[in-house]
Amino acid sequence: MGDTRQCAICGQPATVHVSHIADGKMVQMHYCEACSQEKGATDPAVFKLVDVLAAQAAQPVLVCPSCGFSDVDFRKRGRLGCPACWEVFGEALGGLLAKVQHEPVHHGRAPAGLQPDEATLRARIESARRELAAAVKAEDFESAARLRDEIARLESSVKTS
Amino acid sequence: MSVRDILSAENELTNMLGAQQAVVLSTRVRLARNLAGLPFPGWAKPAQREEVADRCLKALEALPRFRRGHVLRMSGLSDLDRAVLVERHLVSKELANGKSGAAVISRDQTCSVMVNEEDHLRIQVVKAGWHLRSAWHLAEQLDDALAPRLGFAFSERLGYLTACPTNVGTGLRASAMLHLPALCLSGHMDKVTRGLGQDGLAVRGWLGEGTEAAGNVFQISNQQTLGRSEEEIMKHLSGWIKTVVEQERNARRRLAAEEGEKFTDRAARALGVLRHARLLSSAESMNMLSHLRLACDMGCLPEERRSAVDRLMIEGQPAHIQALTGAELDSDARDVRRAAAIREALKDFPEVGPPSA
Repeated sequence: MGDTRQCAICGQPATVHVSHIADGKMVQMHYCEACSQEKGATDPAVFKLVDVLAAQAAQPVLVCPSCGFSDVDFRKRGRLGCPACWEVFGEALGGLLAKVQHEPVHHGRAPAGLQPDEATLRARIESARRELAAAVKAEDFESAARLRDEIARLESSVKTS
Repeated sequence: MSVRDILSAENELTNMLGAQQAVVLSTRVRLARNLAGLPFPGWAKPAQREEVADRCLKALEALPRFRRGHVLRMSGLSDLDRAVLVERHLVSKELANGKSGAAVISRDQTCSVMVNEEDHLRIQVVKAGWHLRSAWHLAEQLDDALAPRLGFAFSERLGYLTACPTNVGTGLRASAMLHLPALCLSGHMDKVTRGLGQDGLAVRGWLGEGTEAAGNVFQISNQQTLGRSEEEIMKHLSGWIKTVVEQERNARRRLAAEEGEKFTDRAARALGVLRHARLLSSAESMNMLSHLRLACDMGCLPEERRSAVDRLMIEGQPAHIQALTGAELDSDARDVRRAAAIREALKDFPEVGPPSA
Protein backbone atom coordinates (compact mmCIF):
# COMPACT_ATOMS: atom_id res chain seq x y z
CA MET A 1 0.00 0.00 0.00
CA GLY A 2 3.05 2.22 -0.40
CA ASP A 3 3.52 2.48 3.36
CA THR A 4 7.24 2.14 3.94
CA ARG A 5 7.46 3.06 7.63
CA GLN A 6 9.40 0.65 9.79
CA CYS A 7 8.76 -0.75 13.22
CA ALA A 8 10.54 1.35 15.85
CA ILE A 9 11.68 -1.79 17.63
CA CYS A 10 12.63 -4.42 15.07
CA GLY A 11 12.75 -2.56 11.74
CA GLN A 12 10.12 -4.77 10.04
CA PRO A 13 7.47 -2.95 7.97
CA ALA A 14 5.15 -1.18 10.41
CA THR A 15 1.42 -1.90 10.34
CA VAL A 16 0.39 -0.29 13.63
CA HIS A 17 0.58 3.49 13.91
CA VAL A 18 0.04 5.13 17.26
CA SER A 19 -0.37 8.88 17.76
CA HIS A 20 -0.38 10.39 21.18
CA ILE A 21 -0.09 13.86 22.63
CA ALA A 22 2.73 14.55 25.06
CA ASP A 23 3.20 18.07 26.39
CA GLY A 24 1.06 19.50 23.61
CA LYS A 25 3.09 17.86 20.83
CA MET A 26 1.86 14.97 18.75
CA VAL A 27 4.23 12.01 18.72
CA GLN A 28 3.75 9.24 16.17
CA MET A 29 5.13 5.77 16.78
CA HIS A 30 5.15 2.90 14.31
CA TYR A 31 5.29 -0.78 15.16
CA CYS A 32 4.92 -4.12 13.43
CA GLU A 33 2.05 -6.33 14.60
CA ALA A 34 4.23 -8.54 16.84
CA CYS A 35 6.04 -5.70 18.63
CA SER A 36 2.83 -3.72 19.10
CA GLN A 37 1.32 -6.74 20.85
CA GLU A 38 4.40 -7.11 22.99
CA LYS A 39 4.48 -3.43 23.94
CA GLY A 40 0.72 -3.29 24.43
CA ALA A 41 0.55 -0.33 22.07
CA THR A 42 -2.93 -1.14 20.84
CA ASP A 43 -4.44 -2.38 24.08
CA PRO A 44 -6.81 -0.20 26.02
CA ALA A 45 -4.54 0.95 28.79
CA VAL A 46 -6.60 -0.59 31.56
CA PHE A 47 -5.73 -4.07 30.30
CA LYS A 48 -2.01 -3.38 30.36
CA LEU A 49 -1.54 -4.44 33.95
CA VAL A 50 -3.67 -7.49 33.31
CA ASP A 51 -1.15 -8.55 30.64
CA VAL A 52 1.84 -7.79 32.83
CA LEU A 53 0.45 -9.86 35.64
CA ALA A 54 -0.72 -12.64 33.33
CA ALA A 55 2.82 -12.95 31.98
CA GLN A 56 4.20 -13.30 35.46
CA ALA A 57 2.19 -16.22 36.80
CA ALA A 58 -1.14 -17.99 36.82
CA GLN A 59 -0.86 -18.42 40.61
CA PRO A 60 -1.43 -15.39 42.84
CA VAL A 61 1.83 -13.58 43.53
CA LEU A 62 0.42 -10.64 45.43
CA VAL A 63 -2.36 -10.99 47.96
CA CYS A 64 -3.83 -8.15 50.01
CA PRO A 65 -3.54 -9.10 53.70
CA SER A 66 -6.48 -6.90 54.49
CA CYS A 67 -9.14 -8.32 52.14
CA GLY A 68 -7.60 -11.39 50.48
CA PHE A 69 -7.74 -9.88 46.98
CA SER A 70 -5.00 -11.15 44.65
CA ASP A 71 -3.40 -10.20 41.34
CA VAL A 72 -5.36 -13.07 39.77
CA ASP A 73 -8.58 -11.36 40.89
CA PHE A 74 -7.41 -8.09 39.37
CA ARG A 75 -6.81 -9.88 36.09
CA LYS A 76 -10.44 -11.05 36.10
CA ARG A 77 -12.07 -7.84 37.30
CA GLY A 78 -9.84 -4.90 36.45
CA ARG A 79 -10.83 -3.43 39.85
CA LEU A 80 -9.14 -3.60 43.23
CA GLY A 81 -10.55 -5.21 46.38
CA CYS A 82 -10.18 -2.56 49.08
CA PRO A 83 -8.32 0.70 49.81
CA ALA A 84 -5.39 -1.24 51.34
CA CYS A 85 -4.91 -3.05 48.00
CA TRP A 86 -3.35 0.16 46.72
CA GLU A 87 -0.43 -0.42 49.09
CA VAL A 88 -0.02 -4.03 47.98
CA PHE A 89 -0.42 -3.50 44.24
CA GLY A 90 0.93 0.07 44.13
CA GLU A 91 4.22 -0.85 42.52
CA ALA A 92 2.66 -3.18 39.95
CA LEU A 93 0.10 -0.50 39.11
CA GLY A 94 2.75 2.19 38.60
CA GLY A 95 3.16 1.51 34.89
CA LEU A 96 -0.58 1.41 34.32
CA LEU A 97 -1.12 4.68 36.18
CA ALA A 98 1.65 6.37 34.19
CA LYS A 99 -0.18 5.27 31.06
CA VAL A 100 -3.82 6.01 31.83
CA GLN A 101 -3.29 9.00 34.09
CA HIS A 102 -1.69 12.39 33.69
CA GLU A 103 0.99 11.83 36.34
CA PRO A 104 1.19 9.02 38.90
CA VAL A 105 1.05 11.49 41.81
CA HIS A 106 -2.01 13.18 43.28
CA HIS A 107 -2.43 16.93 43.01
CA GLY A 108 -5.60 18.28 44.46
CA ARG A 109 -7.90 18.16 47.41
CA ALA A 110 -7.48 16.18 50.59
CA PRO A 111 -10.36 15.21 52.90
CA ALA A 112 -11.51 18.09 55.08
CA GLY A 113 -9.64 18.08 58.39
CA LEU A 114 -6.75 15.91 57.17
CA GLN A 115 -3.29 17.43 57.67
CA PRO A 116 -0.92 16.57 54.82
CA ASP A 117 2.73 15.89 55.74
CA GLU A 118 5.48 18.35 54.92
CA ALA A 119 6.80 16.53 51.82
CA THR A 120 3.32 16.53 50.32
CA LEU A 121 2.85 20.19 51.11
CA ARG A 122 6.17 21.04 49.47
CA ALA A 123 5.23 19.02 46.37
CA ARG A 124 1.93 20.90 46.19
CA ILE A 125 3.69 24.25 46.53
CA GLU A 126 6.02 23.27 43.68
CA SER A 127 3.14 22.28 41.41
CA ALA A 128 1.18 25.43 42.30
CA ARG A 129 4.25 27.52 41.42
CA ARG A 130 4.45 25.83 38.04
CA GLU A 131 0.76 26.50 37.47
CA LEU A 132 1.24 30.11 38.55
CA ALA A 133 4.06 30.64 36.05
CA ALA A 134 1.88 29.15 33.30
CA ALA A 135 -1.09 31.33 34.30
CA VAL A 136 1.02 34.51 34.27
CA LYS A 137 2.42 33.59 30.89
CA ALA A 138 -1.10 33.02 29.54
CA GLU A 139 -2.21 36.32 31.13
CA ASP A 140 -4.85 34.42 33.08
CA PHE A 141 -4.79 36.77 36.05
CA GLU A 142 -7.85 35.33 37.76
CA SER A 143 -6.14 31.94 38.10
CA ALA A 144 -2.83 33.61 38.98
CA ALA A 145 -4.44 35.42 41.92
CA ARG A 146 -6.06 32.22 43.12
CA LEU A 147 -2.76 30.33 42.87
CA ARG A 148 -0.85 33.07 44.68
CA ASP A 149 -3.30 32.79 47.59
CA GLU A 150 -3.08 29.02 47.48
CA ILE A 151 0.74 29.12 47.65
CA ALA A 152 0.61 31.54 50.60
CA ARG A 153 -1.83 29.23 52.39
CA LEU A 154 0.31 26.14 51.72
CA GLU A 155 3.50 27.92 52.84
CA SER A 156 1.88 28.97 56.09
CA SER A 157 0.82 25.35 56.74
CA VAL A 158 4.42 24.17 56.18
CA LYS A 159 5.61 26.68 58.79
CA THR A 160 3.02 25.67 61.35
CA SER A 161 3.41 21.91 60.83
CA MET B 1 -41.19 9.36 48.32
CA SER B 2 -41.16 7.26 45.16
CA VAL B 3 -39.96 7.36 41.59
CA ARG B 4 -43.45 8.64 40.62
CA ASP B 5 -42.75 11.76 42.71
CA ILE B 6 -39.41 12.21 40.98
CA LEU B 7 -41.16 12.16 37.60
CA SER B 8 -43.84 14.66 38.48
CA ALA B 9 -41.75 17.09 40.56
CA GLU B 10 -40.40 20.40 39.35
CA ASN B 11 -36.72 19.79 38.78
CA GLU B 12 -33.48 21.05 37.33
CA LEU B 13 -33.58 19.34 33.94
CA THR B 14 -37.19 19.42 32.81
CA ASN B 15 -38.15 22.83 34.23
CA MET B 16 -35.32 25.07 33.16
CA LEU B 17 -37.11 27.82 31.25
CA GLY B 18 -34.91 30.81 30.70
CA ALA B 19 -31.62 28.98 31.10
CA GLN B 20 -29.07 29.79 28.43
CA GLN B 21 -28.41 26.39 26.96
CA ALA B 22 -28.47 26.58 23.17
CA VAL B 23 -25.60 24.11 22.86
CA VAL B 24 -24.78 22.82 26.35
CA LEU B 25 -27.79 20.97 27.76
CA SER B 26 -26.31 20.23 31.17
CA THR B 27 -23.14 20.15 33.26
CA ARG B 28 -22.27 17.31 35.59
CA VAL B 29 -19.66 16.77 38.28
CA ARG B 30 -19.02 13.39 39.89
CA LEU B 31 -16.74 12.50 42.81
CA ALA B 32 -15.80 8.89 43.63
CA ARG B 33 -15.23 8.28 47.35
CA ASN B 34 -14.73 5.20 49.56
CA LEU B 35 -14.82 4.50 53.26
CA ALA B 36 -11.44 3.64 54.75
CA GLY B 37 -10.99 0.06 55.97
CA LEU B 38 -13.87 -1.53 54.05
CA PRO B 39 -13.69 -3.53 50.80
CA PHE B 40 -14.99 -1.87 47.62
CA PRO B 41 -18.58 -2.93 46.76
CA GLY B 42 -17.53 -5.35 43.98
CA TRP B 43 -15.38 -7.36 46.42
CA ALA B 44 -17.28 -6.84 49.68
CA LYS B 45 -19.41 -9.50 51.37
CA PRO B 46 -23.17 -8.79 51.58
CA ALA B 47 -22.90 -7.88 55.28
CA GLN B 48 -20.10 -5.40 54.55
CA ARG B 49 -22.11 -3.80 51.74
CA GLU B 50 -25.02 -3.52 54.14
CA GLU B 51 -22.78 -1.80 56.70
CA VAL B 52 -21.56 0.66 54.05
CA ALA B 53 -25.12 1.38 52.93
CA ASP B 54 -26.30 1.97 56.52
CA ARG B 55 -23.43 4.30 57.39
CA CYS B 56 -23.62 6.24 54.13
CA LEU B 57 -27.41 6.62 54.09
CA LYS B 58 -27.39 7.80 57.69
CA ALA B 59 -24.74 10.42 56.93
CA LEU B 60 -26.52 11.53 53.75
CA GLU B 61 -29.96 11.81 55.32
CA ALA B 62 -28.48 14.11 57.98
CA LEU B 63 -27.38 16.67 55.35
CA PRO B 64 -29.66 19.70 54.86
CA ARG B 65 -29.19 19.35 51.07
CA PHE B 66 -31.17 16.09 51.10
CA ARG B 67 -33.96 17.23 53.40
CA ARG B 68 -37.30 16.17 51.93
CA GLY B 69 -35.39 14.33 49.23
CA HIS B 70 -35.59 10.73 48.08
CA VAL B 71 -33.86 7.71 49.60
CA LEU B 72 -34.15 4.75 47.27
CA ARG B 73 -32.87 1.21 47.77
CA MET B 74 -32.57 -0.51 44.40
CA SER B 75 -33.84 -3.82 45.85
CA GLY B 76 -37.13 -2.12 46.73
CA LEU B 77 -37.83 -0.74 43.24
CA SER B 78 -39.50 -2.28 40.20
CA ASP B 79 -37.53 -2.79 36.96
CA LEU B 80 -39.41 0.11 35.41
CA ASP B 81 -38.68 2.52 38.25
CA ARG B 82 -34.99 1.70 38.08
CA ALA B 83 -34.99 2.22 34.31
CA VAL B 84 -36.59 5.67 34.77
CA LEU B 85 -33.80 6.65 37.18
CA VAL B 86 -31.18 5.53 34.64
CA GLU B 87 -32.84 7.51 31.83
CA ARG B 88 -32.77 10.59 34.06
CA HIS B 89 -29.07 10.02 34.76
CA LEU B 90 -29.88 9.95 38.48
CA VAL B 91 -28.33 6.50 38.83
CA SER B 92 -26.06 4.44 36.57
CA LYS B 93 -27.01 1.19 34.86
CA GLU B 94 -24.49 -0.57 37.08
CA LEU B 95 -26.20 0.64 40.26
CA ALA B 96 -29.68 -0.15 38.90
CA ASN B 97 -28.69 -3.71 37.97
CA GLY B 98 -27.09 -4.49 41.33
CA LYS B 99 -29.09 -5.63 44.32
CA SER B 100 -27.31 -3.80 47.15
CA GLY B 101 -27.20 -0.31 45.67
CA ALA B 102 -29.02 2.73 46.97
CA ALA B 103 -29.39 6.36 45.91
CA VAL B 104 -30.15 9.56 47.75
CA ILE B 105 -31.54 12.32 45.56
CA SER B 106 -32.12 15.94 46.56
CA ARG B 107 -35.63 17.33 46.17
CA ASP B 108 -34.69 19.49 43.17
CA GLN B 109 -32.77 16.53 41.64
CA THR B 110 -29.53 18.55 41.27
CA CYS B 111 -27.65 16.38 43.77
CA SER B 112 -27.70 12.60 43.80
CA VAL B 113 -25.41 10.21 45.62
CA MET B 114 -25.09 6.58 44.60
CA VAL B 115 -24.15 4.15 47.36
CA ASN B 116 -22.48 0.79 46.60
CA GLU B 117 -21.93 1.35 42.92
CA GLU B 118 -18.36 0.60 41.79
CA ASP B 119 -17.21 2.75 44.73
CA HIS B 120 -18.90 3.18 48.09
CA LEU B 121 -20.03 6.68 47.13
CA ARG B 122 -20.52 8.48 43.86
CA ILE B 123 -21.43 12.10 44.60
CA GLN B 124 -23.09 13.72 41.58
CA VAL B 125 -24.25 17.23 40.87
CA VAL B 126 -26.06 18.20 37.68
CA LYS B 127 -26.96 21.70 36.48
CA ALA B 128 -28.98 22.71 33.43
CA GLY B 129 -26.84 24.61 30.93
CA TRP B 130 -23.10 25.23 31.31
CA HIS B 131 -22.39 25.83 35.01
CA LEU B 132 -19.26 23.91 35.89
CA ARG B 133 -18.21 26.26 38.68
CA SER B 134 -21.47 26.12 40.62
CA ALA B 135 -21.84 22.36 40.07
CA TRP B 136 -18.31 21.91 41.43
CA HIS B 137 -18.99 24.05 44.51
CA LEU B 138 -22.04 21.96 45.39
CA ALA B 139 -20.07 18.73 45.01
CA GLU B 140 -17.23 20.18 47.08
CA GLN B 141 -19.68 21.13 49.87
CA LEU B 142 -21.16 17.63 49.94
CA ASP B 143 -17.66 16.12 49.96
CA ASP B 144 -16.57 18.35 52.86
CA ALA B 145 -19.72 17.60 54.84
CA LEU B 146 -19.39 13.83 54.38
CA ALA B 147 -15.61 13.45 54.88
CA PRO B 148 -15.52 13.92 58.68
CA ARG B 149 -18.65 11.78 59.15
CA LEU B 150 -17.49 8.84 57.03
CA GLY B 151 -13.67 8.88 56.96
CA PHE B 152 -12.66 8.54 53.32
CA ALA B 153 -9.86 6.29 52.05
CA PHE B 154 -7.08 8.67 51.04
CA SER B 155 -3.36 8.44 50.42
CA GLU B 156 -0.97 11.39 50.30
CA ARG B 157 0.62 10.07 47.14
CA LEU B 158 -2.41 8.71 45.24
CA GLY B 159 -5.22 10.87 46.57
CA TYR B 160 -8.70 9.37 46.98
CA LEU B 161 -8.46 5.59 46.62
CA THR B 162 -10.99 4.01 44.27
CA ALA B 163 -11.84 0.52 43.03
CA CYS B 164 -10.69 1.29 39.47
CA PRO B 165 -7.30 2.80 38.61
CA THR B 166 -9.02 5.14 36.14
CA ASN B 167 -10.74 7.05 38.98
CA VAL B 168 -7.99 7.29 41.61
CA GLY B 169 -6.62 10.68 42.69
CA THR B 170 -9.26 13.37 42.55
CA GLY B 171 -12.05 10.88 41.80
CA LEU B 172 -13.43 13.71 39.69
CA ARG B 173 -15.30 13.24 36.46
CA ALA B 174 -16.57 16.54 35.08
CA SER B 175 -18.73 16.49 31.98
CA ALA B 176 -21.01 18.46 29.73
CA MET B 177 -23.93 17.22 27.65
CA LEU B 178 -23.83 18.97 24.28
CA HIS B 179 -26.30 19.18 21.41
CA LEU B 180 -24.19 19.24 18.24
CA PRO B 181 -26.52 18.87 15.24
CA ALA B 182 -24.60 21.16 12.89
CA LEU B 183 -21.24 19.46 13.48
CA CYS B 184 -23.00 16.14 12.78
CA LEU B 185 -24.87 17.39 9.69
CA SER B 186 -21.69 18.88 8.22
CA GLY B 187 -19.73 15.66 8.86
CA HIS B 188 -17.20 17.16 11.27
CA MET B 189 -18.13 15.26 14.40
CA ASP B 190 -15.64 12.41 13.88
CA LYS B 191 -12.82 14.93 13.66
CA VAL B 192 -13.96 16.63 16.87
CA THR B 193 -14.22 13.27 18.68
CA ARG B 194 -10.70 12.30 17.58
CA GLY B 195 -9.23 15.65 18.59
CA LEU B 196 -10.80 15.51 22.04
CA GLY B 197 -9.70 11.89 22.48
CA GLN B 198 -6.09 12.77 21.75
CA ASP B 199 -6.14 15.40 24.47
CA GLY B 200 -7.51 13.15 27.20
CA LEU B 201 -11.24 13.79 26.88
CA ALA B 202 -13.89 11.12 26.29
CA VAL B 203 -16.87 11.62 23.98
CA ARG B 204 -19.90 9.42 24.62
CA GLY B 205 -23.54 9.17 23.64
CA TRP B 206 -26.62 10.38 25.48
CA LEU B 207 -26.70 7.65 28.11
CA GLY B 208 -22.98 7.44 28.80
CA GLU B 209 -20.53 4.64 28.18
CA GLY B 210 -21.23 2.47 25.17
CA THR B 211 -24.34 4.28 23.98
CA GLU B 212 -25.08 5.90 20.64
CA ALA B 213 -25.40 9.62 20.28
CA ALA B 214 -29.16 9.66 19.75
CA GLY B 215 -30.46 13.10 18.83
CA ASN B 216 -26.94 14.45 18.19
CA VAL B 217 -26.40 14.71 21.94
CA PHE B 218 -22.89 13.97 23.21
CA GLN B 219 -21.32 13.80 26.62
CA ILE B 220 -17.77 15.13 26.89
CA SER B 221 -15.73 14.38 30.02
CA ASN B 222 -12.20 14.21 31.41
CA GLN B 223 -10.59 10.76 31.34
CA GLN B 224 -7.70 11.38 33.72
CA THR B 225 -8.26 11.85 37.42
CA LEU B 226 -4.71 11.62 38.81
CA GLY B 227 -1.81 14.06 38.41
CA ARG B 228 -3.91 17.13 37.76
CA SER B 229 -5.71 19.13 40.43
CA GLU B 230 -9.49 19.57 40.31
CA GLU B 231 -8.95 23.15 39.10
CA GLU B 232 -6.67 22.02 36.28
CA ILE B 233 -9.05 19.25 35.21
CA MET B 234 -11.96 21.68 35.05
CA LYS B 235 -9.96 24.34 33.26
CA HIS B 236 -8.84 21.82 30.66
CA LEU B 237 -12.44 20.65 30.11
CA SER B 238 -13.80 24.23 30.04
CA GLY B 239 -11.29 25.25 27.38
CA TRP B 240 -12.38 22.44 25.12
CA ILE B 241 -16.10 22.89 25.76
CA LYS B 242 -15.78 26.55 24.76
CA THR B 243 -14.00 25.51 21.57
CA VAL B 244 -16.58 22.85 20.66
CA VAL B 245 -19.47 25.26 21.36
CA GLU B 246 -17.84 27.86 19.12
CA GLN B 247 -17.30 25.31 16.34
CA GLU B 248 -20.92 24.19 16.61
CA ARG B 249 -22.11 27.81 16.40
CA ASN B 250 -19.93 28.45 13.36
CA ALA B 251 -21.18 25.26 11.71
CA ARG B 252 -24.79 26.37 12.37
CA ARG B 253 -24.23 29.78 10.80
CA ARG B 254 -22.50 28.23 7.79
CA LEU B 255 -25.25 25.65 7.36
CA ALA B 256 -28.02 28.25 7.58
CA ALA B 257 -26.27 30.53 5.09
CA GLU B 258 -25.29 27.83 2.60
CA GLU B 259 -28.38 25.65 2.71
CA GLY B 260 -30.99 28.42 2.61
CA GLU B 261 -34.42 26.88 2.01
CA LYS B 262 -33.09 23.36 2.69
CA PHE B 263 -32.24 24.36 6.27
CA THR B 264 -35.79 25.58 6.93
CA ASP B 265 -37.24 22.59 5.08
CA ARG B 266 -35.45 20.13 7.37
CA ALA B 267 -36.92 21.76 10.49
CA ALA B 268 -40.38 22.05 8.91
CA ARG B 269 -40.37 18.37 7.93
CA ALA B 270 -39.30 17.40 11.46
CA LEU B 271 -42.21 19.36 12.92
CA GLY B 272 -44.54 17.81 10.33
CA VAL B 273 -43.51 14.26 11.22
CA LEU B 274 -43.67 14.88 14.97
CA ARG B 275 -47.06 16.59 14.76
CA HIS B 276 -48.71 13.95 12.59
CA ALA B 277 -46.99 10.59 13.07
CA ARG B 278 -49.02 7.83 14.76
CA LEU B 279 -45.97 5.67 15.51
CA LEU B 280 -42.65 7.09 16.67
CA SER B 281 -39.64 5.04 17.71
CA SER B 282 -37.24 6.39 20.30
CA ALA B 283 -34.49 6.87 17.71
CA GLU B 284 -36.69 8.65 15.16
CA SER B 285 -38.24 10.98 17.71
CA MET B 286 -34.81 11.88 19.12
CA ASN B 287 -33.53 12.79 15.67
CA MET B 288 -36.62 14.82 14.75
CA LEU B 289 -36.56 16.58 18.14
CA SER B 290 -32.91 17.39 17.54
CA HIS B 291 -33.87 19.21 14.28
CA LEU B 292 -36.63 21.00 16.15
CA ARG B 293 -34.25 22.08 18.90
CA LEU B 294 -31.85 23.48 16.30
CA ALA B 295 -34.80 25.35 14.76
CA CYS B 296 -35.52 26.98 18.15
CA ASP B 297 -31.86 27.97 18.55
CA MET B 298 -31.71 29.49 15.05
CA GLY B 299 -34.92 31.51 15.22
CA CYS B 300 -36.94 29.25 12.88
CA LEU B 301 -39.18 28.74 15.91
CA PRO B 302 -39.52 30.97 18.98
CA GLU B 303 -36.65 30.30 21.38
CA GLU B 304 -38.97 29.82 24.36
CA ARG B 305 -40.26 26.61 22.72
CA ARG B 306 -36.90 24.93 23.29
CA SER B 307 -37.66 23.79 26.81
CA ALA B 308 -40.72 21.87 25.57
CA VAL B 309 -38.47 20.09 23.07
CA ASP B 310 -35.90 19.28 25.79
CA ARG B 311 -38.63 17.87 27.96
CA LEU B 312 -39.84 15.59 25.17
CA MET B 313 -36.28 14.32 24.63
CA ILE B 314 -36.21 13.18 28.26
CA GLU B 315 -39.81 12.04 28.60
CA GLY B 316 -39.87 10.23 25.24
CA GLN B 317 -37.41 7.60 26.47
CA PRO B 318 -38.82 4.05 26.78
CA ALA B 319 -39.08 3.79 30.58
CA HIS B 320 -40.44 7.33 30.88
CA ILE B 321 -43.20 6.61 28.35
CA GLN B 322 -44.27 3.56 30.36
CA ALA B 323 -44.04 5.29 33.72
CA LEU B 324 -46.06 8.26 32.48
CA THR B 325 -48.68 5.92 31.00
CA GLY B 326 -48.70 3.96 34.25
CA ALA B 327 -48.32 0.57 32.57
CA GLU B 328 -45.69 -1.72 31.12
CA LEU B 329 -45.81 -1.49 27.32
CA ASP B 330 -44.11 -3.44 24.55
CA SER B 331 -42.10 -1.60 21.93
CA ASP B 332 -45.05 -1.18 19.47
CA ALA B 333 -47.37 0.13 22.16
CA ARG B 334 -44.65 2.54 23.33
CA ASP B 335 -44.32 3.93 19.79
CA VAL B 336 -48.07 4.64 19.77
CA ARG B 337 -47.95 6.35 23.18
CA ARG B 338 -44.82 8.31 22.32
CA ALA B 339 -46.36 9.64 19.08
CA ALA B 340 -49.53 10.62 20.96
CA ALA B 341 -47.63 12.43 23.71
CA ILE B 342 -45.50 14.33 21.20
CA ARG B 343 -48.52 15.28 19.03
CA GLU B 344 -50.23 16.66 22.11
CA ALA B 345 -47.17 18.62 23.26
CA LEU B 346 -46.55 20.16 19.84
CA LYS B 347 -50.14 20.90 18.78
CA ASP B 348 -49.90 24.63 19.38
CA PHE B 349 -46.38 25.04 17.98
CA PRO B 350 -46.23 27.82 15.37
CA GLU B 351 -45.10 27.22 11.78
CA VAL B 352 -41.37 26.97 11.06
CA GLY B 353 -39.87 30.09 9.47
CA PRO B 354 -36.47 30.93 7.96
CA PRO B 355 -33.48 31.21 10.34
CA SER B 356 -32.94 34.61 11.90
CA ALA B 357 -30.26 33.97 14.54
